[in-house]
Amino acid sequence: MRISLNWLKEYVDLKGIPVSEIVHELTMSGLEVEDYTDQSELYKNIFVGEVKEVQKHPNADKLSVCKVFNGKEELQVICGAPNVEAGQKVVFATVGSVVPNGKIELKKAKIRGVESHGMICAEDELLLSENHTGIMVLDSKLNPGAEISDALGLDDVIMEIGVTPNRPDALSHIGVARDIAAIFNKELKYPILNYKETDEDINSISSVEIQDSTNCPRYAAKVVKDVQILESPDWLKKKIIQIGLRPINNIVDVTNFILHELGQPLHAFDLDLLAGQKIIVKSTTKEKKFTTLDSKERILPADTLMICDGDREVAIAGVMGGENSEITQSSKNILIESAYFNPSSIRKTSKKLQLSSDSSYRFERGTDFNNVLFAAERAAQLIAEVSGGKICKGSIDAYPVKLKNKEVLLRYNSVKKNLGYDIPVEKIDNILHRLGFKELKKNESSLTVSVPGFRPDVEREIDLIEEIARIHGYDNIPTISRINITLGEKHDDSEFADKIRDTAISLGFYEMINNPLVPENYSKLCGEPIALTNPLSSDMADLRTSLLPGVLSVVVRNLNKGVKDLALFEIGNVFQRLNKNKIESFKDFNENQNLIFVLSGKETQKTWNSAEKRFDFYSLKGLLKAFIQKISLDNVLTDLYYSDVNSKYDLNFTLTHNSEPIGAGGKVKKQLLQMFEIDQDVFCFEFNLDKLKQIPVQPQKFTEPLKYPKVIRDFAFIFDISVKYGDVNDYILTSSSSLLKKVDLFDIFESETLGAGKKSMAFSLEFFDENRTLTEEEVEKEFNVLIQKVSKEFNATLRGSK
Amino acid sequence: MLDDLITSIKKEFIKDIDEAKSIADLEQIRIKFLSRNGLLSQLFDKLKDIPIEQKPLEGKNLNLLRNELIEKFELKKGELKTLTDDENSQIDLTLPGNNYRLGGKHILTQTLDEIKTIFKRLGFSVYEGPEVESDYYNFEALNFPADHPARDMQDTFFISEKFLLRTHTTPVQVRIMENHKPPVRAIMPGRVYRNEAVSARSYCMFHQVDGIYVDTDVTFAELKGTLVSFAKQFYGEDLKYRFRPSFFPFTEPSAEMDITCFLCKGKGCKICKNTGWLEILGCGMVDPNVFKYVDVDPEKFTGYAFGMGIERIGLLKYGITDIRMYFENDLRFLKQF
Repeated sequence: MRISLNWLKEYVDLKGIPVSEIVHELTMSGLEVEDYTDQSELYKNIFVGEVKEVQKHPNADKLSVCKVFNGKEELQVICGAPNVEAGQKVVFATVGSVVPNGKIELKKAKIRGVESHGMICAEDELLLSENHTGIMVLDSKLNPGAEISDALGLDDVIMEIGVTPNRPDALSHIGVARDIAAIFNKELKYPILNYKETDEDINSISSVEIQDSTNCPRYAAKVVKDVQILESPDWLKKKIIQIGLRPINNIVDVTNFILHELGQPLHAFDLDLLAGQKIIVKSTTKEKKFTTLDSKERILPADTLMICDGDREVAIAGVMGGENSEITQSSKNILIESAYFNPSSIRKTSKKLQLSSDSSYRFERGTDFNNVLFAAERAAQLIAEVSGGKICKGSIDAYPVKLKNKEVLLRYNSVKKNLGYDIPVEKIDNILHRLGFKELKKNESSLTVSVPGFRPDVEREIDLIEEIARIHGYDNIPTISRINITLGEKHDDSEFADKIRDTAISLGFYEMINNPLVPENYSKLCGEPIALTNPLSSDMADLRTSLLPGVLSVVVRNLNKGVKDLALFEIGNVFQRLNKNKIESFKDFNENQNLIFVLSGKETQKTWNSAEKRFDFYSLKGLLKAFIQKISLDNVLTDLYYSDVNSKYDLNFTLTHNSEPIGAGGKVKKQLLQMFEIDQDVFCFEFNLDKLKQIPVQPQKFTEPLKYPKVIRDFAFIFDISVKYGDVNDYILTSSSSLLKKVDLFDIFESETLGAGKKSMAFSLEFFDENRTLTEEEVEKEFNVLIQKVSKEFNATLRGSK
Repeated sequence: MLDDLITSIKKEFIKDIDEAKSIADLEQIRIKFLSRNGLLSQLFDKLKDIPIEQKPLEGKNLNLLRNELIEKFELKKGELKTLTDDENSQIDLTLPGNNYRLGGKHILTQTLDEIKTIFKRLGFSVYEGPEVESDYYNFEALNFPADHPARDMQDTFFISEKFLLRTHTTPVQVRIMENHKPPVRAIMPGRVYRNEAVSARSYCMFHQVDGIYVDTDVTFAELKGTLVSFAKQFYGEDLKYRFRPSFFPFTEPSAEMDITCFLCKGKGCKICKNTGWLEILGCGMVDPNVFKYVDVDPEKFTGYAFGMGIERIGLLKYGITDIRMYFENDLRFLKQF
């Protein structure tokens, strides 16, 4: 919301208050000044200049060499504008000035070999418009050397105020002035009506009928006859420009002026174009086409509140007028509409039509139902003033059911209860009074006020407390330095994920965070996705069903940047649609926290003392072993290997708990890598973290370190190539007594000497007893039994033992 | 009786040790003092001529001497070994050490961890909630009426008429209060989504931490105290701050907290848009309408709530120039933190 300080000064006396203080106080009372421009600063060192002479630039066709008089001397200036001519009064920025649009300080320069001492400005360079077709030519009466801010009246301060949705009252100059008056304890000067009327009664010319009083509780009209459609006078044009609008004509400019002055949107109809010169307010019953005054044909849905004349629709109520009744150059008699519409009705229409205007923006936030007639009258007065029109006698004020001002009770002790400190009662009363709340009842402990129509946001005691707090100043609320803490168990939903994260990092992984919004071809890879009904783009159309596609995107992004060795993990939510038809409850979809590890590239770099090693399937297995050991689930999860055509992995590997899969991974399938344009192996493993979290962990307890020596024995067998390590390992463990505590594979190879289809596997066995030293003999016996059993079971030949 | 001998042997031993230049020298010293027929053994032999009552004391002294000599001998041996050991002398100690693979938390997680630590110390629990939310939790129960412009404050991604991607972590406060009667003191970290054009300063997905405290006698003054304490712990003790009135449908009165811009120290710069202030969070007293949805009596209880974005903190604190870098997961970015 653009607010002009000069305009504000018409309603509140701000003499002696520095701009910076006004800006600060407004911000600190809830109307945040996001930015402001002090024009006298903006146009410093920019003057009226007079072009004395124009000659062609010797080295450039499109440039001119001008002599510009700045009131003191003539300076040589290069100008590129086609419209520059001798005798013109122009805007001349001297060396050392800062051209407003570029914020760059002008320096003496040589342009194609000719010196230039300043610049003749176009409108866009002065931030007055976007026009850059030529330089700005000024009134010839202006004196060379005059400050441009004085000469053009650009002596204002323009503030950009961020008005929150609860404060429609502040979407106007009078509303901002009201807050300022309350803050600085000044009087608010409301405009006073002063106009003459003709003898012709408005009721004999026109009529208003409200058929839908729920959505249009009040509709007022004034008629002005014999107007002349002209350019607005300077004072009006200037105001319109200062708030960032373009002057159109005197009628439109007045309606815009009133909207920005009082916050009441108005519409001006050409009375002679209204069939029967009447207004009927009603909602459409069926879909209809309608052309708005921006010449666009729109489809009105059924149940759209419309302004109609005797025959047809003439405006979309509160949103935009129709082309069929708009003011044109030849309009003579006009009807001014000033109404109060139901905010949610206007919002629905604006949303459905995807059409928002300055009017709808205010109506949907709530306008002042008490000010409807005043705004119409003030508009009539100003229109008569600027167009020579004559105001017909009286007003139409269709107001079938009067809206009542809300009444709110404030208990004085509630102020302290909520804010934590006392504000004197007189201060409270004064603040509310200045903001326009009327005292209805008052006693020692409470006050009942009537809420003005321009404050639709204030309905309850707490709303009044906020008003008091913001005007009294949040700075005045104490900042306490002690708090009470309730003892008891503190809950932490993030504990498990945090533990997982710490574990992953200790294993040398960096954490990723990916956007869960992915393209459809990614989400479809791993389940039934949930699609957004209003995505930003097709790249972010669905919620991810797995962390895998996001991870592959990260891999390729890094590869493309030359980062080829990756060990990363991510913890994040994935989403599966459960109900194909609809999503109406939390049962129709599933949201689940997952964890994914990814390995790709080199595990060990080639260095002077080590060979390069690339991540492989066994890197992944090793990682997982370490990981589940670290989170104390190493004896709980079971490895499972099976091939599955639907899996995203070659070398598919699943971890299960009580036969339920907890996670799966392996070497990412070639075709998937091709889809992502990845040209190196990628190993991933994705856990369902919510399931992992459910698995009970054995309580940690201390185990006495072993006091007795271990006995280590090794043996190696030649097996048939098809024999699996896992089977041999399991067999050894289950076929031995409890003295055998551990079996490690330490060598595996195939060779010519072993023969085709054969391989050697060598195992190291660890025997011990927690309570005594084992004897050579018993270990020997145990070991020999095992040799025989393994030989027999796997048809294996002992290669050696020790 | 043996004291003099002990002293002189010790002196002689130290002299010899000091002069020893090689392992061979040391071997000579060993033979001279520590061997079976060495000076030390000879001294022990003298023990048998000592009167019985003095034997324990003298024996003890001799043992001390022996220990001392051995210790000095081994020390010297170690020194000489490092100096002269042939094998080790060939090693180039300036060669690079072996590589170890490090891991690290994402900077957003680190920032969130810091925030969590501070609030946990202040007695807050941590609750999480779903990212796909119902309109009820995300808007209705937080006092955003249907067809109210307040909904425009948060551009929403919908997945159906009644379900959406949460636009803030505030719905979790409703979920907590549905299940826990006051006092409730909790923070609610999580991921949120906004249907906004993507740029260097804004992304369609980001992270927030919300907080809530509901009890009897909770006031705006306590809200200020708690958040100032947080901000000082997080941003630094010498911080200046201000609370500015603002608007959120679920709090009344509402405020935004600004701190002095830590880049320009309040002088005004590009980052703080020349105001000297940086907005760090939104807050306020829990709106009585929110209490009605979760069946808490607003006459009996009051509460405060607050919420802050995590990404923004890093943009400001570390000067990260583009919010999208958080989610590109370029390893070179991740490794910086």
